[in-house]
Formats: sequence, structure tokens, C-alpha cells
Amino acid sequence: MNKSLLDYILRVRLPITIFVIIAAFAVTYFASRGVDKGIGYSPVQPIAFSHKLHAGEMRIDCQYCHTGVEKSRNAMVPAVSTCMNCHSIARKDQPEIKKLRNYYFNNIALPWVRVHRVPDFVYFNHSVHVNSGIKCESCHGDVRQMDRITQVHSFTMSACLDCHRHPKENLPYLKNVKHGPDNCFACHR
Amino acid sequence: MVEIKNEMDPKDKKEALDTDYWRSFKELFKDTSTIDSSHNEFGKSVTEDFDPSKLKGISRRKFIALVSASAALAGAGCSDYRSKGFIVPYNQMPEEVTVGNPTYYASTSTSCTHSCGVLIKTREGRPIKVDGNPDHPVSKGKTCAKCQASIINLYDPDRLEFPLERSGNEFLKRDWKVVDDAIISALNNSSSKQIAIITHTVNSPTSKKVLDDFVQKYPNTKIYSYELFNEQIRNSAWKKCYGTDNFPLINWDQAKIIVGLETDFLGIDGNKVETTRLFSDGRNFHQTDNFNRLYIFEGSISVTGMNADYRIKLRPDAQYELVLSLLNELDKKGISIPAGSQAYSGYSLDSFAQKYSVSKNRLNLLVKDLIKNQGSSLVYPGRTLPEEVHVAANILNEALSNTKLYRTDAAETPVLSLTSKDDIARLVQDINSGNVAVVIHYDSDPVYHLPKDFSYTDAVKKVPMIISMVGSKNDSSALGNYILPINHDFESWGDFKPRSGFYSMQQPVIDPIFDTRQKEVILLTWLKGKPVVYDDQIYHNYLKNNWEQNIYPGINSKMNFTEFWNAALHDGVVIFEESVPSLGSFDKSAGNSLPKPSSNHSGFVVALRESYQAGDGKFLNNGWMLELPHPVSKITWDNYAAISNKTAKSLNVDDGDFISIQVGNRKLEIPAFIQPGAADNTVTIELGFGRKVVGIVGTGVGFDASVLMSKAGDFSPWIYEGSNITKGSGSYKLASTMEHHLFDNELTTNVAQKRKIIQEGTVEEYKKDPNFLNAPKPNEEESLYHKHPYPGVKWGMVVDLNKCIGCGDCVIACVSENNIPIVGKDQVLVSREMQWLRVDRYYSGTIEEPTVSNQLMLCQQCDNAPCENVCPVAATTHSPDGLNQMIYNRCVGTRYCSNNCPYKVRRFNFFNYRDHFKDHFQQSQLFSLAANPEVTVRSRGVMEKCTFCIQRIMDARSLAIEEHREFKGSDVKTACQEACNTNAIMFGDENDKNSIIHKYRNHELAYYVLEDLNTKPNVTYLAKLRNTETEVA
Repeated sequence: MNKSLLDYILRVRLPITIFVIIAAFAVTYFASRGVDKGIGYSPVQPIAFSHKLHAGEMRIDCQYCHTGVEKSRNAMVPAVSTCMNCHSIARKDQPEIKKLRNYYFNNIALPWVRVHRVPDFVYFNHSVHVNSGIKCESCHGDVRQMDRITQVHSFTMSACLDCHRHPKENLPYLKNVKHGPDNCFACHR
Repeated sequence: MVEIKNEMDPKDKKEALDTDYWRSFKELFKDTSTIDSSHNEFGKSVTEDFDPSKLKGISRRKFIALVSASAALAGAGCSDYRSKGFIVPYNQMPEEVTVGNPTYYASTSTSCTHSCGVLIKTREGRPIKVDGNPDHPVSKGKTCAKCQASIINLYDPDRLEFPLERSGNEFLKRDWKVVDDAIISALNNSSSKQIAIITHTVNSPTSKKVLDDFVQKYPNTKIYSYELFNEQIRNSAWKKCYGTDNFPLINWDQAKIIVGLETDFLGIDGNKVETTRLFSDGRNFHQTDNFNRLYIFEGSISVTGMNADYRIKLRPDAQYELVLSLLNELDKKGISIPAGSQAYSGYSLDSFAQKYSVSKNRLNLLVKDLIKNQGSSLVYPGRTLPEEVHVAANILNEALSNTKLYRTDAAETPVLSLTSKDDIARLVQDINSGNVAVVIHYDSDPVYHLPKDFSYTDAVKKVPMIISMVGSKNDSSALGNYILPINHDFESWGDFKPRSGFYSMQQPVIDPIFDTRQKEVILLTWLKGKPVVYDDQIYHNYLKNNWEQNIYPGINSKMNFTEFWNAALHDGVVIFEESVPSLGSFDKSAGNSLPKPSSNHSGFVVALRESYQAGDGKFLNNGWMLELPHPVSKITWDNYAAISNKTAKSLNVDDGDFISIQVGNRKLEIPAFIQPGAADNTVTIELGFGRKVVGIVGTGVGFDASVLMSKAGDFSPWIYEGSNITKGSGSYKLASTMEHHLFDNELTTNVAQKRKIIQEGTVEEYKKDPNFLNAPKPNEEESLYHKHPYPGVKWGMVVDLNKCIGCGDCVIACVSENNIPIVGKDQVLVSREMQWLRVDRYYSGTIEEPTVSNQLMLCQQCDNAPCENVCPVAATTHSPDGLNQMIYNRCVGTRYCSNNCPYKVRRFNFFNYRDHFKDHFQQSQLFSLAANPEVTVRSRGVMEKCTFCIQRIMDARSLAIEEHREFKGSDVKTACQEACNTNAIMFGDENDKNSIIHKYRNHELAYYVLEDLNTKPNVTYLAKLRNTETEVA
């Protein structure tokens, strides 16, 4: 091989190639950090339900629909019948409400697309957190501003532990907050 | 297989018996393979099939195919990698459900004839756990293993899903309407011929009313009710002596001296749930003056025999002579016997002792005890013994005024009494003469249960219309024209009245999973005369109407009926005032008809008992029950012929060798098992196994010993004298867990401060010196471990060995609560059973007359846990409340932890067991419904062990936070604790100075197993006290 060509490859092409690879990796990694943790996930729902409208403008309490949040591990996505408490009368003619009524009257399961999730081997309990005074938005963000629900905080183990270990920093509104348990059995069993 | 027989020379024996406690002959005789396996974590064979050189190779083509397939799958799987699935809420919110929280319903179980009240835990509408109903006056919040395990009968892979009709040699799916039409016309055309309904015990007044209605519409109907094991002999003997129908209930807790004759009242005889509770109330070490003393005379060790203070082996056909000799002896000692002396004179205790080589001292002590405790002693013969033994025992109890122990405030009140043998024989006759048009097997299996010489099987084939209402196919349904699937208990309505003074209510907790109907509804449909539009409210309304019209008026409730009804369903029981029939007075002429016992006991005696695991065969498709080690022999997945060591020698058989049993012209080949403490020339076999038509779990499990039964009976329907036994050909592998997970004894023997694993003493010793155990308090020696402060709650368990009877109910509760898989016999054989909790049974003393000690063994949650510091991936660590946590997701399956655990309580998933066993039904959608959603379902390659029910701890904690109160140790009950009939298991906070756990940890009877290893266990054992007298022992 021509000596100057080898020289050229080693001195110019190789560093450029390595740089491009590293840079591409770094940029991709940086850009996808949130995606990795689920942040920014905002899937299209079967019915374009707006939290901004219901919880924000109309100021309906979270617990009107999410009834399990104080007494169960599950916050509970409301049954279709809960929606129908109002929508059997209100806005019957709107296209989205027509969809809702179709689910209800024809007894079809309503498959909401899941946004927030911890893995099956994590036994998260809403009631423990809510009864300790932690606000919904500390994990779910300000849903009152969301037309479509979007994940804004990380739901990884390190995120859980960060709050359990440093509650004062993460939940400044709680005056007498204690550390959360950080042993394995707290979440896994 | 160890050659036991060669090692049993008398000169070796002495040395061998130096072992204090032994679990098997192999251990007793220091078999090298057993000793080796005690050093290791598992037995040798446990990893046998993981030799890589034995694994099948994989071809290059296959490898490429797999790689490309996985690449393709990975590509496809990545297409929507952010998807987290869906949340599908209810359309209409059910009133009682909060998603994520359990709902409890009170109901009644019909697993056996005692109709125990149960609380069924449901999650999102599916039953997941059964426990006792605390409001129930008999079961008082407790259940037995069968009741706990009945939940997987609901999710049985072999449940019938729709009605079937015979077509040639197979059964075809039919609609209910078609089936109902055909049957109704058959019923209407039966004209004068008999319609026979064959059922088990009927305890339900409303179910009885349905049958009565049926008889009214079809007057040619006859109802037959039978049980494989029953109290008919006890009751008929009672009637002879006292003139009333039913043997009374007993105040077991007030009995000071209990003499059991071939009875297992702590196991399978009678209402176990109540009896064990009352019995253990009489064994409270706080009240040593009221400690009861249990004598058991029996052929082979039963659960009751394990718990006896004095256990005397005696062949069952000698029991009659024993009672007569006792009568004679008491007469001599000046007790007036309310019967003519001609019956018992001539039977002296001395010659009895000599004839059956029973210790004279023990018999003398027994007589002394009986005389001293007149009015508070009890002689209780087993239900399988013949009538004369019961009559003689009644005389004995009357003479000692033990009738004070009979309860006058409550009595059993059968709704429908059992049919006599003669009536069943007449039914067969009627069938043979063509006078029976329809036979209805009303949730029963007479083909399997009835003695074969009734020739019921041959006869019933001649009946033109045979209908079986069953949950899953059985031997009887296989012969029929129609098989109608019926609801499980948990899908049914009902009322039960096993005793005076209360009703136990049954309500469905789940809609019928399949196209099944309740058996009462099927009859009601036929009564209507035409197929009706089915509606699951039919029987509900019938039941409610019957209550409103017939039962409610008699109860004098202050509530109106609707309120009353809702309250009854809510509570599960209706308690009311009811007069109890008097016991009757003793008839002194009862003793006159006592026959002479046959003095000639030649040949072998065969005793048949009900199975602990399979019941009368109903639980033969229930993997949890079959895998529960037998409380005495620790054998799973089989029944066997228990024989004594001497008999085995004389027959030249070893464990597992087939023996051939011949009674009259009836024959059976069954593997033998050498049972320490069995009476010589006695063969004890459990019934309930070997059904020919059964589901995938029970197929090929055990041997059907009911072929030995005869309708004439011999000594009794369950005991046969003069049978002939020879060595059969071949041998069989019995899967016993008895040698699995042995403690390494050498570890303890070399330590200066020698602590035994089992510690026990006598009541006398304890009275003399409460500190007789000399248990040093937890030693504060220097330790490699740092001492941890446990500032908050610290979990601890106490097991009171005085109360533990070794029944194994806790094991099933644990299996149900913690999603423990069934592994199957082949896996148990290589000691891979997965149960987190085991009951270790130790023998001590001689092979002929061993003493039994039981010990519950589970993860000891050691403060200085040896498993924790060997885990390379920190999958097992310690929590601040003193728990040894096992985290499945971190576990990579090195098994180091198990290797380092001196208690051998860790269990490794060698396979994905749900996928491994019998068509992987445990992974089916149906069976998965039984899983507890609060506990991870473990897969292959991870280690697991007892967690002290962490899910219950966390639930109680969240409830405390919800209610803004302090979280206390007493808020939590573990599954095993909740199931324990005798309250032998206690659980709570060691740091709470007022807790029972704190108290018992510092009690003089408390000790820790292998304490010298400085593991600092958090399970405390309270040493067992035996109520024996020193000079005799």
C-alpha cells in the first residue's frame, strides 16, 4: 500500500470516524435520556379526554374519578359509568362523547393507553403515598395543564429511591416528611 | 437403596440407637449417602439431570434458525417499544369492588361433611384464598388443609365445562336444553319403576327440601346417601346403650385423660378443626396442673399417635380385648360396672399385656389414671372399630362417670341419615331385576366408593338412564348416559345445619366459570317439567323462599326478613336458640349382648383409613393436597401399605417393595412402607387413591385399596382379619420428603455448648424446675457481624411445640398465599419440592416404640443470616425490621445462599415449575386465577423462601398509614398463623415489650434451633412438654 495513503487514513480518516461514532452515540444517548425513562410519552387515547378541561378549568377533584387513590394500591382509572354520571346529559352531541356513549351502552371495554407504569415486580401503593400527604403532581406532573396526559417524571427505581432518600428536597411542601423505606421488601416481594 | 436388613443385627442396634433423633432408617443407621447429603445443600440426585455432557446437542441449522428468529422477533418487538399496554376499566363499577383491595365473603365449605364456615378472599372478583369464618361457632376462624386447597378444585384443569351425552364410547357436548328434555321424558316414562338418587351426606335443609319436592313429584324416587368413612357404627352402639340416635359431642378441652383406641381424632376422625383446638387447649404449659394426658392404642402411627404421651402399638383386632380387660381390672379395683360381669370376666390386664407384649407398667398407669380422674377421662374408640368395642367403651365411660364430658348444649343433627348397607344391597337387587329406570349420581361416586362385592358397577350398567352430576369426571360418571357439570362450592347458594343451634350459610363468590349449574337447580328444572330459561337466581330464590316461609319464623329474629337475610349472608351464620335432645339414660342390659372376642388372631390384619391427602378420593386431582407430605410418613403422591419393621423382615421386603394382600378372594398389590412404631402383622392402608377415572393430576396416583372392602365387612367394614400377605414382585418408588433437607448434625456435635435441634421435657420436670432446659439466653459472644440496631418494629415468630400437632394445614395455607407451584412426584423424588414451610418429623427411641417430635421449619430470618454474605449479587439482604429479604429479580441462581443455610429452608426453581408439570396447566388462564396478585410468580433459575408474608406486612402497614395510626406488630397475621387450628404459631413485634413474642422470646421454655451457630434466628421454639411419669418411662 502507498505509504502516504496509509498515513492519510491513520491521521485523518480514523480520528474522524472515531469522532463521528462517539459523537453520534453521545448525541443519541443525550437526546434519548428522557425516552429511556419514559419521559415525554404521550400516546393518543381512544377518546380525546382532556384533563386540562376537567381538572383544570372545571376544577373537578382528582378523587372524583380516581377513587382508589386513598384506599388502595391502584388509583383506579374510573369506570365508564363514572363518566356517564355527567355525560348521560352533558354534551351528548359532541363526537368524543358519542364515542364514550358507544362504549357504555354497547358494553364495550374501553382500552385507555397506559402512560405511567412501574414493572410487575414493583408493588407500588398509591394509598401509602397519598395518605402521607404527597401531591399527585409530584409524580404525575401538573395534569391540570395537559390536554393529553404526558409522562413528565421518571418512573425508574433510582427516581423512586431519590425521593425516598431525599424527601425534603423533592417534596418541599411537606413539613414533617420522613424518609421513605429504602429496603428491598418495601417494593419487591 | 441401603441394605437396612443386614444392619439390623442386634449387636449393631445398640450403637445405632445412640442417635437421639432420627427421621428415617437411613439416618438411624448412619447410612453414608444420607450423612453425605446432610452436609450438602441438597441430596445427591437433585442436580443429576443438569450434566452438560448429557444435554442434547443443538444442530448448526437449528442454531441459525433460532438466531434469525430471535433477530426477527427483536425487530418486530422494537416497533412500539414505548408501549406500556392498556388500562381497561370496568364499564359499570361493581358496588363492592375497590381495584387492588381484597373483598371477603362468608360462605360454607363442603370439602368434608362438617360444613365449616369460611371467609373467601376475592380480588377483582376471583377467589384467591380460603380461611375460617371467625363468627362460625364450630370452626371459629379456622379451616383444615382440604378446605384451603379446595380453591384449586374451582380452577381444576379437568373441570367439566358443559353437559355431555354418551354416544357410543365417547361423550359429546350437548346443550342443557337438549339434555333436560331427554331426562325429563325419561323421568316421566319411569312410571312405576324406581328412580334412585345416590348422594353423599346431605347437611343442607333446603337441599333436602329439593329432594323431598322431587320425591313428591316422582313418588317412585328413593334417596340413598352414603359415606366411605362414617360414624354409623359409633352411633348404632350409642343407640344400643342410651337409646338416642347420635353419639354426643365431647368437651375435649375438659378431658384430663384421653384414651384413643385406633382413632385419629386429631387427623381424620370427626371434626378435626374443632377437636384439635379443644385438645390443644388442654395442653397449655401455663396451666401445668390441667395438662391432659393422651394414651393411644393403634396399629400404625396416626397424627393423634404422634401427639400421644403414651403410644402403645396394638393390632386393631385386639382393641376389644383391651377394653374388656380394662373393664375387668376396674371391676377388681372396686369400680361398679353397669353391666353384667359375664361379658368381661376372664380378661385380665396381665394376660392381655403378655399376649400382645404391651408394657404392664403403662397399662397399670392407665388404670390408675382412669380411676383417679373419674368424670374427666375419656375412652374414645375409632370409627372403624366394630360395634362391640364402642358398646364396651360406652360401658367403661359410664362406669367412670365420664359422661360428664358429653356436651348437653349442642348436638349433631343430621338432616338426612345415611342409608344402611342392606338398603344399598336392595338397590343393586332392584337394578338387577330391572325395576330401576333412572339412577342419578348426585355429586357422588358409588362405583369407586362402594365395596366391589355389591357388584354395583355391573348392575348399574343395566339401568337405561344413568345421570351423573359431578364437577369433573369420575368412575361412576364414566358408565353413565349423561354427565352434567355442577357448580363448585364457591359458585353455589346453600344453607347447612351440621349441628343444633346454628345454620351455616353459603353464597357464591364468583359467577359460574363454565356452563355449569348448581345440582339443586338441575333437579328443580326437571321438576318444572320442561326446560326453563336458566337463571342463576333460581336456587337463590328457592332458598330465600324456604327460609322466609319455613325457617325464619322459627328463629324469632327481631329483624324483618330482608334485613335478617342480608345479615345472615353477611355473617355466614345464623345462631339461634334450639333445644338439644337429651342424651338418654344408660341401659344396663346393653352389656348383655356383648360377644366373646375371637381369641385367635391368626394371619395379618388389614386396617383401612381415610387418606390425609386425598380424603375419600375427592381431592385426588388436587395437586396441593397430593404434594403435602403425609404428616407421619412424609410420603407424597402415593398411598402405601404401612407395616412394621419386624413384619417387613419376616416378609423379606424393603421400603417400596410390592406386597400382595389377599383378603378372602380380594387381592391387592401395593408397595410396602416400613413404618416405625407399627404393630406387627398389621397392614395399614389409606383409601382415596387409585381412581381409574380422574383428571390429569390424579391419574396414576396411588393404589385403590377399596378393592379389599367387602359389603359383609369382617371385623368391621374397614378392618379385615386373617388376611394373607406375601412378597409381591418388583418394587416402586415412594416419594418421601423425610430425608430431604436434613440438618447437618456434625455442626452441632462439635460445639462445646451443645444445643439440640429438638428440645423437650416432661410436665413433671417443668413443674419441679421451670428452668430445666437450662437454655442459655442468646449468647453475646464476639461475632464477625456488626450488631444492628432495630429501632422500629422487629418481626419475630414463636412456634409452641406443645400445641403443634404436625398436621400440615399451615403448609397448604402457605402454598395458597405465596403462589408456590406443584412440582410433581418426579421432582419430589429428587428433593425439589418447593414448599417454603415444612414440618420436620423426628423419631426418638426404638424402631418398635418410637416417640415422635414435630418441628415446623421455615426461614428463621436470622439476624446474622449466613445466606446474605455469600450472595454475589446482593439478591438477599437484610431489612431494617429484621427480615431476610429475597429479591427475585436480582437473583442469578448461584445457589450459594442455599448452600450456606444451616436450616435448609431455601428452595430453588430448577424449572419454571408452572410450565413443567402435567400439560403446564398451572400456566393456564384458568389456574392462574388462583394466584395471589400480591406475590410475584417466580420463574426458573431463582431462589425463594419464606418471607414472613411480607405482602401481609406491607398491607397492614399501608392500612395503618391510611388510618393515621401507629403500625403495630399485632396488626399482621401470617398465612400459616391464620390457618393454624391450635394457635401454635404466633407472630409479631419483638421490640414491643407488651407483645406475646417479646414475652416468649425470654421464656424459660424458649430455644432457638442451631443457636450455637450464632445465626440469631427470629423464630423461637417453645419446648414440648410430655405429660409422662418419670418412673414409668
